[in-house]
Amino acid sequence: MLEFYEPQADFGTPESDSETMITLSIDGVNVTVPEGSSVMRAASESGIKIPRLCATDSLKSFGSCRICLVEIEGRRGFPASCTTTVEEGMEVKTQSDDIGKLRRNVMELYISDHPLDCLTCPTNGDCELQDTAGEVGLRSVRYGFEGDNHLVAEKDESNPYFTFDPSKCIVCSRCVRACEETQGTFALTIDGRGFESKVSAGQDEAFMDSDCVSCGACVDACPTATLTEKSIIDAGKPEHSVVTTCAYCGVGCSFKAEMKGNEVVRMTPYKDGKANEGHACVKGRFAFGYATHKDRITVPMIRDSIDDPWQEVSWEEAVSFTAKRFKEIQANHGRTSIGAISSSRCTNEEVYLVQKMVRTGFGNNNIDTCARVCHSPTGFGLKTTLGESAGTQTFASVAKADVIIVMGANPTEAHPVFGSRLKRRLREGAKLIVIDPRQIELVSAPHIRSDYHLPVRPGTNVTVLNALAHVIVSEGLQAHDYIAERCDTEEFSKWTKFISDERHSPEETEQFSGVPALDLRAAARLYAQGGNGAIFYGLGVTEHSQGSTAVMAIANLAMLTGNIGREGVGVNPLRGQNNVQGSCDMGSFPHELPGYRHISSKETRHLFEGEWGVTLDPEPGLRIPNMFDAAIDGEFRGLYCQGEDIAQSDPNTQHVEAALTALECLVVQDIFLNETAKFAHVFLPGASFLEKDGTFTNAERRISRVRKAMPPLSGKADWEGTMALANALGCNFQYGHPSEIMDEIARLTPTFNGVSYKKLDQLGSIQWPCNDHTPAGTPVMHVDEFVRGKGFFAITEYVPTEERANRKFPLLLTTGRILSQYNVGAQTRRTSNSQWHDEDTLEIHPHDAEERGISHGDWVGIQSRVGETVLHADVTSRVKPGVVYTTFHHPVSGANVITTDNSDWATNCPEYKVTAVQISKVTAPSSWQARQKSFNAKQQDLLAKARQ
Amino acid sequence: MSTSKIDRLVKMINQISLNMSSNGSQEQVSVEVSEHLTKFWSPPMKSLISDYADDENIGLTPISRMAVTHLAALQSLK
Repeated sequence: MLEFYEPQADFGTPESDSETMITLSIDGVNVTVPEGSSVMRAASESGIKIPRLCATDSLKSFGSCRICLVEIEGRRGFPASCTTTVEEGMEVKTQSDDIGKLRRNVMELYISDHPLDCLTCPTNGDCELQDTAGEVGLRSVRYGFEGDNHLVAEKDESNPYFTFDPSKCIVCSRCVRACEETQGTFALTIDGRGFESKVSAGQDEAFMDSDCVSCGACVDACPTATLTEKSIIDAGKPEHSVVTTCAYCGVGCSFKAEMKGNEVVRMTPYKDGKANEGHACVKGRFAFGYATHKDRITVPMIRDSIDDPWQEVSWEEAVSFTAKRFKEIQANHGRTSIGAISSSRCTNEEVYLVQKMVRTGFGNNNIDTCARVCHSPTGFGLKTTLGESAGTQTFASVAKADVIIVMGANPTEAHPVFGSRLKRRLREGAKLIVIDPRQIELVSAPHIRSDYHLPVRPGTNVTVLNALAHVIVSEGLQAHDYIAERCDTEEFSKWTKFISDERHSPEETEQFSGVPALDLRAAARLYAQGGNGAIFYGLGVTEHSQGSTAVMAIANLAMLTGNIGREGVGVNPLRGQNNVQGSCDMGSFPHELPGYRHISSKETRHLFEGEWGVTLDPEPGLRIPNMFDAAIDGEFRGLYCQGEDIAQSDPNTQHVEAALTALECLVVQDIFLNETAKFAHVFLPGASFLEKDGTFTNAERRISRVRKAMPPLSGKADWEGTMALANALGCNFQYGHPSEIMDEIARLTPTFNGVSYKKLDQLGSIQWPCNDHTPAGTPVMHVDEFVRGKGFFAITEYVPTEERANRKFPLLLTTGRILSQYNVGAQTRRTSNSQWHDEDTLEIHPHDAEERGISHGDWVGIQSRVGETVLHADVTSRVKPGVVYTTFHHPVSGANVITTDNSDWATNCPEYKVTAVQISKVTAPSSWQARQKSFNAKQQDLLAKARQ
Repeated sequence: MSTSKIDRLVKMINQISLNMSSNGSQEQVSVEVSEHLTKFWSPPMKSLISDYADDENIGLTPISRMAVTHLAALQSLK
């Protein structure tokens, strides 16, 4: 879908969702639009553009610029078309001599205080002020340019991605309103009155010093060059664009990659993208520079030992070197001695191909994916209770929620575009219950305050969820009819007996969770009785030794209150990476074929065997932690790792490093020499999302196209590299384009039967299941019945983690993310986002800090039962006493040196969120950090030798 | 077979058993645990733990022992 560059269509004011239609006449033409539409919107929809400056269709109409005046039969004066709603039979004139004169007069005033530097202005040719001056026919400015003006106002260039040039500002308030309405941050304001009015960030601060989160909504909204991307100032206007999908978090925002030749000059949030509807965050909007960073490796490399320098080779040589090594390993150590790890950052087609290569080329099921370490409990828990391993809603559904539970998630940091939607609904009056050890932003933000914050002690989520259910059952607040009709009543009776036990009462669980019983009871009543109840949860639920139990407890709560199967409700896992849902859908787990069908099913195997022409192993393969253990035991010797940095992201780093070191052949396919690649024998250069075609599936099950905006820097997209390796191993993969891979997926997977690139192009995106029953996809799941038939209330016994705080390790460490960085930071650390977060720090409560003589900024040692690392202290009451917190975006931080091997009982998802630690003031890095520094320097040197 | 290897498996099974412990009688739970192992464990893991089905000294809880016995029976049928 390559298009010549055009700004996205703007209808002036938002669309009305009324089903009542109104017919009016505009310039003599009858127009029918939904009730509540503005006259401006009605005109735009009928192809008549009314000139405007302060109006844009992403914001409520404001009526300040006085350019969009019209005449309406029977009304006095010249009403603003943006603030006037349509009425039946209304007769509107958008053009007349009087209107033209008024518009020119207003325009003249604007232009009298605007620099006339259009030819050298960065938005020349892409400026609404310029366009409007042309539309109203402005030919002269009678007032001259000598009077008081703002032309020498100082430019703010503090933000790394955009400039603020007040000399070009027309004070239309679009940026201020975008910050409020679209983003919900309220960082901007109009300071002063009359002539002194000006846009101001915070308390008249520089943008970088204000609360601005750099989402870019103000830049998108600005009709002049006041707020302009630095990339556009540097490169000029784009000449074509490609609609694609963001490669950061699981929101899956749609973007226009705006190009000059093969260079991306701007990423603009796509208004027709249903996940984001024209909004973005600092990562997707601005942090794309990593794709062409100097650290990119674009030539395949091989070496015999990790102590040898890399040798640059052709793709053919690298592939044949790998195939030979893998074949030798299998010949010497057996068919199951090799395996692969696929990535949630890669496309559906790529992860499908990796698992197909493992199952057909390796001849085993040793395929796992990074979802193992994040949302595998979601797959297990939701499949068990509801029958499908996926969230139940669309993001837009939150607009109809009345009570929202956010548990173990921090949407404004980790899923910011959804966070903005959520905030909008909260400002409209929805109630909020936050269950989190930390005081996340949603607990208290501008115009938002959670009704209940239940500050759960890490590791005790299940007690809180059980207690919520206990209150609902014991007070008779459950949805009796819904349960009787939709759920397995026999199992429900068993579960009711279980949950009614006094040990689950809030008064009993308080001793474990630290959550006050009264607050918990009130929160339970609110969720059960407050109307549409929606639960959003994240890794703070899944990454525990009881992660699967907690997911099932969440599903229980939703079924108990009848909150599944319609808009505004549901169970919504917020996926960390862009394609977590998709990688799970595509059969990346060692026990499942695509579509979550167990490998032991003869019928399913036969289906795939027929298509693939091989006999499949009916037994599950190794999970990632099993692979590490088997590598250390000498039974697992070859690993193909695509797009994942397990050496940084997986727990107990020293154990992972020992496993990687034990491998005879580690193949890493990535865009950078990541931490894992430093242990590799083969490096296959990966392609960024801008360099390939494919699809991603976001947290709402929405399949969206990824479209190639530039050729792969290495000459091959990732799927082509995998295909070459598979064929070298004896497979016969013959795909000319990823659409052919999707066609195969659709043939073999009932929930994808109706999916094709053609349909994706037609519909924009599709939420699976998409098949003959639901040809346009399924926005809301489990509408009439659950996928498994009757909803299953699982028994959710609380089993405390073995990771206990004691005198030696008295504090509990939990981990998370921040807005500007993403996952292991491989992408965002190579952008200006590091200006916001150039190191991981340790958040510690003032009481705990004082006890240890720690001040803000001190170096502190963090010691757990498995390792030690050193970070700077951030003394803050965001964490409660007894809990410390850090992020894991920088390799040198070694956050995972201290996390343990503990894992979820059902899925082995690591328990990142609970590590008992001791903190002490130190003066030097840890021994691991010293070793990491030295190892890194050596590996960088070996890389440099290859590149010389 | 290294001790740590069997210890790891024992720890995993005991954890599964404990988390399923309220699902029903010991017999029911042990069957569910063995089904879980059948469904999610790789053949070498199943085979190794089955070899220890009669060993009372490896640290299996009663439910886990029963589960391993069920699993070993299933394994022997293959």
